Amino acid sequence: MIVRSLLTIWMAVIIIAAFLYAEAAHGFPGETSRILFFHVPQAWIATLAFLISMIASVLYLAKRNVKADYIAQSAAELGFLFCVLATVTGSIFAKATWGSFWNWDPRQTSIVILLMIYGAYFALRSAVPDLERKRVFAGVYSILAFAAVPFLVFVVPRITSSLHPENTMNPASPGMDPKTLKVFLGSLFAYTGLFVWMLRLKIRILNIEGLRVRDLFR
Amino acid sequence: MFTLNVSGIGKHYGDALLFKDISFRLNLGDVFAIVGWNGSGKSTLLRIIAGLVRPSAGRIEMFCNGEPIPKESRRQFVGMVAPALSLYDELTGLENMEFFCRVRGVDCNRNNCLEIIDGVGLAEHATKTCGDYSSGMKQRLKLAQALLHKPPLLLLDEPGCNLDSKGIKVVEGIISKQRQLGVTVIASNEKREADYADKAINLSE
Amino acid sequence: MHQTKNARQTTQTKPSTYLNEAVAIWLRDLRSEFRTRYALNAILMFAVTTLIAVSFSIGSFRIEEAERPFLYAVLLWIILTFSALSGLARSFVKEEEAGTMDILKLSARPQAVFLGKLLFNLTLLGAMELIIVPSFILLMAYQINFPGFFIAMVVSGGLGLAAGTTIIAAMIARASARGALFSALSIPLLLPLMITAIKGCERAAVGIGTAGWPEVKMAVAYVIVMVIMSLFLFPLVWEE
Repeated sequence: MIVRSLLTIWMAVIIIAAFLYAEAAHGFPGETSRILFFHVPQAWIATLAFLISMIASVLYLAKRNVKADYIAQSAAELGFLFCVLATVTGSIFAKATWGSFWNWDPRQTSIVILLMIYGAYFALRSAVPDLERKRVFAGVYSILAFAAVPFLVFVVPRITSSLHPENTMNPASPGMDPKTLKVFLGSLFAYTGLFVWMLRLKIRILNIEGLRVRDLFR
Repeated sequence: MFTLNVSGIGKHYGDALLFKDISFRLNLGDVFAIVGWNGSGKSTLLRIIAGLVRPSAGRIEMFCNGEPIPKESRRQFVGMVAPALSLYDELTGLENMEFFCRVRGVDCNRNNCLEIIDGVGLAEHATKTCGDYSSGMKQRLKLAQALLHKPPLLLLDEPGCNLDSKGIKVVEGIISKQRQLGVTVIASNEKREADYADKAINLSE
Repeated sequence: MHQTKNARQTTQTKPSTYLNEAVAIWLRDLRSEFRTRYALNAILMFAVTTLIAVSFSIGSFRIEEAERPFLYAVLLWIILTFSALSGLARSFVKEEEAGTMDILKLSARPQAVFLGKLLFNLTLLGAMELIIVPSFILLMAYQINFPGFFIAMVVSGGLGLAAGTTIIAAMIARASARGALFSALSIPLLLPLMITAIKGCERAAVGIGTAGWPEVKMAVAYVIVMVIMSLFLFPLVWEE
């Protein structure tokens, strides 16, 4: 409860700071660079969620512990949500700076493939009625997808070169304004907290739904 | 010495419970019957023993001369006949037998296969495609398939279904022969088939 | 005691190797396919129809000379991929529909089943490519400056299509809405392969930059990764 309230306040502070405290980066039209504080953490959470989902899938296949599958499913759903958010915010920025919503930048390409993989993952889950089988198939599919994706790293950059701003917008590079960096890190922290909270909530829901079945064997 | 140990087996589908806490132990020579009303889970229990369905609780163990048999090699020790286990319709009876011999690594030439087919009374139909078989003939071929590798554990789900009186004799012959070779588990609603067994479990109780 | 010993001996007279089992399954699938022609008819009809549609609407002269190597490669791989997806699931789906999956589970080891089905799918793809690729080249007047590389690309790409989809076929056979699901699950996994194969065929047509055969190597690496992953994961799918 306390943690949740703190998270809410922190989130609000970050949103205000993103618009009022941090300064718009140079070289971008108007205030567009402020998307950094939302878009990048969203993309980061999407990646983190998919990684968690894949690891949980492996755990499920090894141990057959239902909880691992709850984690895999919840993380995949949240990952998909943040993936969509990152795609939408990214597209808005793309329109404002590069002139079109979509231009198959390598990162746009990879995020679309991630969306396709997890769309397929949910389609598979809903198409298999048997619970055990559904969990195993979903786990197997996410591992297969994880094996196929690295090939894209070799393949995609050759098609087009990235339009993504690297210097002033990349937190790792020295070109970033210290104020911007502070707010960015705060936002990253806030989004991670939000994700963890949502993930736990989702797992609890699945757990309660699953309890009905396990009661039969008491 | 072959032993089948079933301990604490339970199965549920979604939140519907089928059965729970099923335990029994069978040794060489035992013929065991599983009886119960329709939908009581006879076939499911048999499929769990065969390793086709994962139980929700409990475990199945098999021992050969006291040595536990690992899951991966159980297929060599189990023969099964069930209404839901079909053979390949587009192959002939003989081709079916040859295929299963080859897949199981049973050393069997065409004549051995013909002998086995003759054993279930299908000698003159061996080269017909199974799609053209009557249901009784299919049942006989399924029995032949289950016996190919001389399994110590024979699982029979309604072995007499669709069979005429001669076919029933074949089943009786198989069961009495299996008393010498290993364990038989029969799932059936028919009193006659349940009577082959010396022990039984009723899933409806 | 004596009898069980006997029984054990008879069951283990000839320990079957994975390859033996896989070949038995492959030959059985081929025989069934030869008698029913379920999969091949589906694949070939799909492929020929798309090929005719493409050839009729685009023809051999609509596309500028300079654009041809790339666009033809794209068209060829779209035809090949989607034709393959129309029939590669067939062998598993038929097993499920005919109710023979369980008996196969009881008699064969999972890895052998996977290898047998992979061999069967490779045979189907080989037959498909043998018909589609030459017809495509003829109908579209496809100029290829480096045929050796082109053939290697088509072959390794075909291997990749089968390697990436066989385990998916085993999964969708146990699910509802099979046809749509097969494509939906396979395409994200096949995309890297498709992009590679398109690039490779483009290079082969132009005849420049083929030194070291990078795209063929990539496709072969993809095949190896997918086959190894499938061999690990297939038993989980098969036994469920």
